[in-house]
Amino acid sequence: MKKIGILIKKEVRDILRDKKTLIMMVVVPMLLYPLIIIGMSLAVSMFMQSQVIEAHIVEYNAQYEEEVNALERLYKEHEDEIDWQLEFQPGQKRIEEGSQPTEERVDTENASANRTGAVRMEMSREADGTLNVLLDYASTDEGANSTRRAVEQVLELYREELLTESLKQAGLDERALYPVVYESRDSATMSESFGMDIGGSIGLMLMVTILLGAVYPSIDATAGEKERGTLETLLTLPVTNFQMIFSKFISVSLFACVTAVLSVLSLGGSVLFLMFGLSDTVAEQFQGISFTAILPYIPLLLITLIATALLATALCMCFCVFAKSFKEANNYITPVLLVVMFASMTAMVPSIQLDYKTAMIPIVNVSLMVKQMISGQLQMSLVGITMVVNFGCSILIAWILAKLYDSETILFSDGFRSFRIFQKRSDIKKGTVPALGDVTISIVVVLLLTLYVGTVAAVRLGSLNGTAVNQLLIVTVPVLVVWYMKSDVRTLFSLKKPQKGTLIGSVILYLGTYCLLLALSAILMNLMPQSTADLETTFAPIVEAPLPALLAVTALMPAICEETLFRGLLFGSLRERLKSPFWAIVISGFVFGAFHMSLVKLLPTALLGMLFAFLVYRTGSIYPAMALHCLNNLGSMMSLKYPEEAGRILPFLVKPQLSVMEITGLLGVGAVLAALGFLLLRKKKE
Amino acid sequence: MIEVTGLCKKFERSVKQGRKTKKEEFLAVDRVSLHADAGEIIGILGPNGAGKTTLLRMLGMLMTPTEGNVRIFNQSEKELLELTEKKAAIGYLSGNTKLYPRFSIREYLGFLGELYGFTKAEIEGRIAEIFQVLDMQGFADNRIEKLSTGQMQRASIARCLMADPEIYILDEPTLGLDILSADAIIHFMKKQKENGKTVLYSTHYLEEAQFLCDRIYMIQNGRIVAKGTPQALMEQTGCSSLRDAFHAIYENYADNVRVQEKGGNRI
Repeated sequence: MKKIGILIKKEVRDILRDKKTLIMMVVVPMLLYPLIIIGMSLAVSMFMQSQVIEAHIVEYNAQYEEEVNALERLYKEHEDEIDWQLEFQPGQKRIEEGSQPTEERVDTENASANRTGAVRMEMSREADGTLNVLLDYASTDEGANSTRRAVEQVLELYREELLTESLKQAGLDERALYPVVYESRDSATMSESFGMDIGGSIGLMLMVTILLGAVYPSIDATAGEKERGTLETLLTLPVTNFQMIFSKFISVSLFACVTAVLSVLSLGGSVLFLMFGLSDTVAEQFQGISFTAILPYIPLLLITLIATALLATALCMCFCVFAKSFKEANNYITPVLLVVMFASMTAMVPSIQLDYKTAMIPIVNVSLMVKQMISGQLQMSLVGITMVVNFGCSILIAWILAKLYDSETILFSDGFRSFRIFQKRSDIKKGTVPALGDVTISIVVVLLLTLYVGTVAAVRLGSLNGTAVNQLLIVTVPVLVVWYMKSDVRTLFSLKKPQKGTLIGSVILYLGTYCLLLALSAILMNLMPQSTADLETTFAPIVEAPLPALLAVTALMPAICEETLFRGLLFGSLRERLKSPFWAIVISGFVFGAFHMSLVKLLPTALLGMLFAFLVYRTGSIYPAMALHCLNNLGSMMSLKYPEEAGRILPFLVKPQLSVMEITGLLGVGAVLAALGFLLLRKKKE
Repeated sequence: MIEVTGLCKKFERSVKQGRKTKKEEFLAVDRVSLHADAGEIIGILGPNGAGKTTLLRMLGMLMTPTEGNVRIFNQSEKELLELTEKKAAIGYLSGNTKLYPRFSIREYLGFLGELYGFTKAEIEGRIAEIFQVLDMQGFADNRIEKLSTGQMQRASIARCLMADPEIYILDEPTLGLDILSADAIIHFMKKQKENGKTVLYSTHYLEEAQFLCDRIYMIQNGRIVAKGTPQALMEQTGCSSLRDAFHAIYENYADNVRVQEKGGNRI
């Protein structure tokens, strides 16, 4: 225990002497909040003042003096209800060359166009006596927008007045016009809506500062130690690895906590300054927020933030121990930062509240708690859960960290490089197998491309061409990755002849699995009928396409493109990197399933993906998987396009519901075939 | 003194087999047995990649052996059992044992003293003594990052001296140093030998090893291929210098390996 104390003292001293850490720890929180909060409020108040001073001018064509007088009168009568002060001015006449001088138009170029906040009101009367009013304004001009809204309010009043008058003339009661009167009232208190608006972003800001406070000392104490070459010296000391990492963890957490406390203080200071130090317009906004109600929560908030700081530290250090230099550690920590930030950002979504479910998610619950605290709707039990969850998680991750730090392969490693694609191409060795990070990035890129580009293409070019574009995107990314990384395509994508005698086994195994999948789909269909129906409607338009095009796009292209991505790049890299064909098959299968973005199809597609990956593994070639993938899609497309003919050949393909007998039969046949195929493939391998 | 029997260390490495790379286990240190007594300087010689550093790291308690146990005895021949006790009895110095750049050497030694459980007075006395011996007063309060290479090397020796260990394990301590700094290290090792300490060190400088070492272990592929006093090794090979003996021994070893491989093929 005493040794830990001495070690902590040393670590703290070491970190304190690092200028970068100090800047992140003290300067950032001290400056960030005042800058953001006060800066933004100043901007808002300046904007509001500029709005107040500005005259909201309404220009009108002069011959409708009478109507405008009525409008002006109504405006004066209802001045309190109307949001902005209006000023009615007659517009200047503009006589266009060649046009008749009697035509009266307001000069747009000289008058309203040059005046912000001005609206041109052009009136004309139709033959039946209806008054047409055209409000000419620029939506980009916020002042003109307000003017327009105010004029609309006045015009509405004018319309009502005229209406009532004509009703009276017709001898009707004006109540006949309004059989229903409604009014909505916002019951949210000022602090509730303030909490919703601002609380979420405050939670996010707190998380960001804590992370920034934890990141630098984390890197410094782990990867920095390796980079400076002091790790081996540290290991010669008469302390255990656990004492070492524990003291590091505590010291770094200490700094993250200091950052957390400084953040709260700086945040509070900024808010107080806003309340008392600034102009009334801003302070007005804070009226009604019961700060005395928030005050008792401050200690709770501090404890929770300390728990979060511990968690953030453990998380950062867990990733940093793998790195051997600052630069590498930065690479590892960036995705972590992004994930944590996205998690905290969920608090900014108004509908997400701290409840018994969200309180179980670490980090998210803290930013939600901050939001709820500011809006004064915090439940004590949820605060308890939040604290326990965050402390629990930090202990768990710290335990993992201690395990990691005890491993010689990590302590003496040259760092493990999960991203190779970010190197310059000239630095990449020939025959490099993409690392896990590279593969993940590729899949995410493909997913985003198909989501955005693919959707746009489907809307613009029709669903058939859209699918074709999607397939092209799916094949382009792996090809580019493999080119950039100079990978050995033949080995990685298994572009080889299948091993002798594996073809029959593959086909039988596929047929067996197909039966099993049919049975599984039937069961899932019973469980989730709605999503199955949705699925059919999504395919409806594409089935209408002519047969050759349909088959090319839905059978041939997926067989080539999807196999290249999932069995080529994904499975090929996983197999090399994970050293375990089993996990490579399972993971690539599930990614394939998840990629199809349908809950009901997830499991069947994943199993199909695993089957194809297994075939690549056993036959040593991607071609059988491609052929069977093509056959598979061909079958399902044909049964969708020609349900009657398909029904005659294989009735269970198109039946909406399968009986228990049929499902059992399919399962039985499928199991026998699959087992047979499995055996055939296994025998040949030996 | 220090004693090991049948020490092994297994590592994984990736090996290219045609187009595929496979992970494969290999022994970086293969059944090494050695002992070093008080008042001895032991040299560990061998080419790069022979397993010297891994062996010394295990002896220095930085790495855990896959097989075998490092036994360490104090001056009264009592075996030390606790890991922290063993570490405290060893002064380990290598090219990778750098010092915290943001500390001064005085602060660093103070930190070490506290960790070894010395009292304040003891720490101050010891620091003063070390500074005296190594002539370090001039830069004792500068940050370590500001020191020159020679000063840095003296600071590293000071680090080892602070705990007053029984055994010094030095991994290529004279590598890349100028003559003056290297001489300082050699002087330091001789001094420790006189004080009845045990010194184990690895080097590539055979002339240095020849006049400095009491006994020598030569290793290759993780195994001891020759051992004995420098004199005995020279006589064994009929050479006049350790350098020639080294060449003779390693050529002989390489021949043996070749013969073994051929034999293996025939069977």
